[in-house]
Amino acid sequence: MNSLERVLAALQNQPADRPAFLLNASLYGSRLTGADLNDHYTRAEVYAEGQMAIRETFCPDLLLSPFFVSAIGEAFGSTWRARAHQAPNVRTFAARSAEEALKLPLPDVDCHPRLLYLRETIRILSKAYAGEVPIIGVLVSPSDIPPLVIGLEAWLDALLFQPDVAQALLDRLTPFFVDLGKAMLGDGATGLALTANLANGYIVTDAVAETLTLPTLRMALAELPGPVILHHGGCPLGDQLARFKGLPNLVAYVLNVAEDLGAARRVLGPGPVVMGNLNGPGLIDLRPDEIQALCELAFTQRGDDRQFILATCSADIQLDTPPECLAAITEAVCRAGGAEA
Amino acid sequence: MDRNFSQDLLLAIERADRAGANAVISAWAEGRDFKRVVPELLSPVLETFGTIWATGQGGVSLATGYVASKIAEDVLSRLLREAGASGEAVPGKGPVVLGNVEDDFHPLGRKMVVAFLRADGWDVRDLGVDVSAGQFVDTAEETGARVIGASAMMYTTAKNVAKIRHEIDRRGLTGRLQLAAGGAVFKLRPELLTDFGVDGTAASAVEASPLFQELWQRATSLDIHVGGPRP
Repeated sequence: MNSLERVLAALQNQPADRPAFLLNASLYGSRLTGADLNDHYTRAEVYAEGQMAIRETFCPDLLLSPFFVSAIGEAFGSTWRARAHQAPNVRTFAARSAEEALKLPLPDVDCHPRLLYLRETIRILSKAYAGEVPIIGVLVSPSDIPPLVIGLEAWLDALLFQPDVAQALLDRLTPFFVDLGKAMLGDGATGLALTANLANGYIVTDAVAETLTLPTLRMALAELPGPVILHHGGCPLGDQLARFKGLPNLVAYVLNVAEDLGAARRVLGPGPVVMGNLNGPGLIDLRPDEIQALCELAFTQRGDDRQFILATCSADIQLDTPPECLAAITEAVCRAGGAEA
Repeated sequence: MDRNFSQDLLLAIERADRAGANAVISAWAEGRDFKRVVPELLSPVLETFGTIWATGQGGVSLATGYVASKIAEDVLSRLLREAGASGEAVPGKGPVVLGNVEDDFHPLGRKMVVAFLRADGWDVRDLGVDVSAGQFVDTAEETGARVIGASAMMYTTAKNVAKIRHEIDRRGLTGRLQLAAGGAVFKLRPELLTDFGVDGTAASAVEASPLFQELWQRATSLDIHVGGPRP
């Protein structure tokens, strides 16, 4: 089986030669290529080369467009700061409030250079791995865009104290989100991965989620002509799954570190793929044998569940993580399938 | 029957109802000296709320905690207004220094801590985001602060807390300048607190004030042994 077939088997609850797996190695590609991080996050061909190196070295079954959400903020006018060992982070925001953000022009997904960078990585990777490896376009849900444009505090102010303004901003941002998602799928992305932190009960109140952010997410997802993976985004997701279950086009859920895979399946029932639950940034502190033990624990938790993809979660795998740590995941997966690494 | 203001305020905070909470506080203040609102009403309620938040039993979201910090800010604003009108000074604790560590641009948690500390009478020197170890310790030395509060969200930036520890020790301030740290990463990986030489942490922003009180006492208790407070 190739990777695409393996992932499709998980989606269709069919047997596979081994479990599929995903590495959140968007940043780590630059370690393998030796690329300067600024080039990695601004030149599509450089980034794509990094994902190809990840594929050649560790054989993960899915590859990612840049995990670089600050790029979406930049498209609205925010600025980001490049850092020595991490993905860029937002430095200044495009507007100070939701009311101000309503006046910002919507970025054109076909013109803005940073959005074109994100899209071009997908084009390059999907061309290189057509019919072989699924390529996932990374973006954020409409309710997670404002923290990149006005900051989390100003967005909470709107959601909590100015719900009409918050709704107006969500209504304005949704078409942009849909345009970007459609564009990524049109560029060759097999599916999309997104966070929805501002619909998670660990971040917002039930009232905010139920009246503002979840209805918007439902509407936005329904517009996308492709499958979507919901990523935990740094929040616990396991006990929030009932909230997200059944939203249009959601086919998989990436749980947070060490969240119980079997418990997630019991909530979701058959159908969606459960992904997780290795601590990507924490791999640096573990020995390869410890990582293999965590993989085996995950396989034990999933039992005979075919709709499971082993995945590193939380943030990027750190740049200084020894390659042996990632190779340990590949070995564990191959061993689980009875194949040689 | 006497109204249970504490219970009403706690319920309003748990509902993230800022207007409702302020109405409870205003009702409490009728016929009372508003200066007593913090020790007699707000602090005890926030302490209870902090316990609920820290244990994760009440399903308290970040937004609910944020609203609680806004209520604390509302009380502080009113205290300052009334103190300004009467010419009285608001009683102070501190100063203490707060900031997000170098390379960290996630200010919300820190701002909530600042709000709760100020509402409880602390003089907080808030340095903002992306603060170097040197800036933290320089400000502490300049102001006479005895506690630094460092905020970090992710592992990659949390490592910079260790630089503050190093800077404190390098300048010979060990013990006399205490280091508190908080943020999402420390909840996920509490062992980092020891690894980075942190003197104390709090399970929620609300609990920062008792932590800082404890650290302040620890820092100043050393003055007795080394010949009194520094100039």
